[in-house]
Amino acid sequence: MLPIQERMVDSADGEKRATSFGGAWRRQWVRTFPVREYLEVFVVIGAVTLAGWFMPFTYRAFGHIYLMAVIVLSLRVGRIPVLVAALVSAVAWNYVFMPPRLSFSVLHFEDSLMLGTYLAVALIGGQLTARIRAQEREERQRERRATALYLLARAVAGARDLDVALATALQQADALFDAKTALLLRRETGVVWHAAGTFTVDATNHAIGDWAMEHREPAGRFTGHFPTIDVLHIPLVRDGRSLGVFAVRFPADLVEPTAMQRELIDGFAAQIALLVEREELRQAGEREKLFAESDRLHRTLLDSVSHELKTPLAVLRAAGEKLGAEDKTLRTALVGEVRMATRRLDHLVGNLLNQNRLESGVLRPQLDWCDVRDLITAARRATADALAGRSVRLEVPEDIPLFFADVPLMENALANLLLNAGHHTAPGSPVLICAGRETRHGEEQVYVRVADRGAGLPPGLRDQPFQKFRRGAGARPGGLGLGLSIVHGFMLAQGGDVTAGDHAGGGAQFTLHLPHREHGLIPTDER
Amino acid sequence: MSVESTKPHVLVIDDEVQIRRLLRLTLAEAGYSVREAETGRDGLDEAHRQAPDAVILDLGLPDLTGVDVLNSLRETNAVPVLVLSVFGQESSKVAALDAGADDYLTKPFGSAELLARLRALLRRIKPAVATNTFHFGAVEVDFTRRRVTREGKAVRLTSMEYSLLQLFITHRDKVLTHRQILCELWGPKAEGHTHYLRTYMMRLRRKIEGEVESSSFFQTESGIGYRFVSEP
Repeated sequence: MLPIQERMVDSADGEKRATSFGGAWRRQWVRTFPVREYLEVFVVIGAVTLAGWFMPFTYRAFGHIYLMAVIVLSLRVGRIPVLVAALVSAVAWNYVFMPPRLSFSVLHFEDSLMLGTYLAVALIGGQLTARIRAQEREERQRERRATALYLLARAVAGARDLDVALATALQQADALFDAKTALLLRRETGVVWHAAGTFTVDATNHAIGDWAMEHREPAGRFTGHFPTIDVLHIPLVRDGRSLGVFAVRFPADLVEPTAMQRELIDGFAAQIALLVEREELRQAGEREKLFAESDRLHRTLLDSVSHELKTPLAVLRAAGEKLGAEDKTLRTALVGEVRMATRRLDHLVGNLLNQNRLESGVLRPQLDWCDVRDLITAARRATADALAGRSVRLEVPEDIPLFFADVPLMENALANLLLNAGHHTAPGSPVLICAGRETRHGEEQVYVRVADRGAGLPPGLRDQPFQKFRRGAGARPGGLGLGLSIVHGFMLAQGGDVTAGDHAGGGAQFTLHLPHREHGLIPTDER
Repeated sequence: MSVESTKPHVLVIDDEVQIRRLLRLTLAEAGYSVREAETGRDGLDEAHRQAPDAVILDLGLPDLTGVDVLNSLRETNAVPVLVLSVFGQESSKVAALDAGADDYLTKPFGSAELLARLRALLRRIKPAVATNTFHFGAVEVDFTRRRVTREGKAVRLTSMEYSLLQLFITHRDKVLTHRQILCELWGPKAEGHTHYLRTYMMRLRRKIEGEVESSSFFQTESGIGYRFVSEP
């Protein structure tokens, strides 16, 4: 949205462009007394009279010359002026040329006939000319309208977005109608006046605009509804739907516009309506594309989630039915299965919730000081079952600085890496967890790394191992392919990063990076 | 101490009927007598009426927040409270602990874990044997002489480290939030200075437990605080 100052600049700019169209429009609306035409009439009749004075023709010949003059004039001037020309010619002919010269004479029958012809010719010629000129004018207006709409279409087509296009359209309208314009549009936030408008809409006009939009009928000045209002409101209607209102504030001294001029305004409104509709359709198209994409993701998620849910549920149900069995060893085995199934469900739900937190943008990491050894302990405790039977080696230097991180997120990320290592390596293969401080990309950082002795990163996953629903080709069943994507999301949320690479000597390694922060002084109390 | 003829009373306040049923089964089998309440208000009424020995309080009640229930309860009653929360309720968990809850469990939890926590809570309210020393593991703390020994050898603690240890022993088996510890040792101004605590915990663990991978006496409760367990 443009601030008000910019609007004023726009409006000034619009006025500067009001050149050819503005003047012509104004002239047609304010009908003036045709001085030029009367002047022409008197000059022509006067010239004919003056020239005739020195000509040795009979007065009858002058009658024909006057008639010719009236005929010529009837092609050039309006109805009333040509009638005046006929009358003046009649008087001049009678007074100047009809004997006795320079006095009014009694008319003979033939002369009366000639005078009658003057009037008849003047009336018929004037009428014909008026019709021709009206047609001409209409033609010119049609052309001007076509040109205006063409210019509008061209300007609007070149605009990079709807706001710019609308601003351009309003500027053109200002110049063409010699008026100020504004645009009421239906937006997500409600019905608002577009910032490109060149006049400030008061409360009354706001209400009238709303009325026009709701009733899909023009309202305000020059209309049947609220004609005392100073602004003309034209609804932007497409397919019976009201998209907005085009409001035009003409100069106060204008009389009613002609049908043709109204048509031009309506044409403008229609163009703007098209523009708005086009934008709406484009947005709807984009939304649809987005829906289709998220729908695809949803289906993928739902397919794998329902599969992942059904497996432990099937175990729980079957085990539940058999728990009443007498066989003690069977019961112990079933209890183990139940525990395994619930753990799997718990992990699944946790990952889904985390993914959702990441995607909905509600994740607000609460960074605080923490001891990386605590993080490792908690992550190991959470994954103790999955890593049972493996040797886990820790390499944490004594002087490791405190990490500034969100503890639950960090623990979850680390636990996901440990689970990932457990999932992708042979049972019993060792896992190394190390932490430290390093300079990376010119920044002081701390890191914690999980390295395994498995097959390493599969080639297909090397580029984007942190994408959602990506699972290694050789991965064992189980898991949604969400774990690493969550790790990635959590690390980015904390201002850190996660990288994947090859563990020297075989296997994969994942490293969680965080910026190193210096904490404030710790009070000392040596006794 | 001899076992009282009456079983310890546990009041369960949870709106989920299945959780109540499960808790009743688990607790009854372990020798507790169980009362149930479905809402926070019912729970408070019940607590006033029959003075339970421990309360298990769910944080997702329909009528009152966990902090509301705890505040009302604590007006009249010092009964140990174990709060139950679900994933994602970290902040309400900390708020409940700050408001006087003694411990927490995150759903889903195992019954063994629940019973262990409950036992620890009930142990705490038993009259402490008036001794001047306290033992845990190979460590002996002499309160009168403010001396700590490990395997018979003296452990040199700074006064702040000693205060920290003493705080943990006083509130053993109970979760202490960062805020509670920081306020107690460094005053209310130090509330957000978690790095004090992390640094001192690192030193205390090193001196008391030596270089062990994961501390067993001083347990870190992620994002919440610490728990001192004298009999891990």
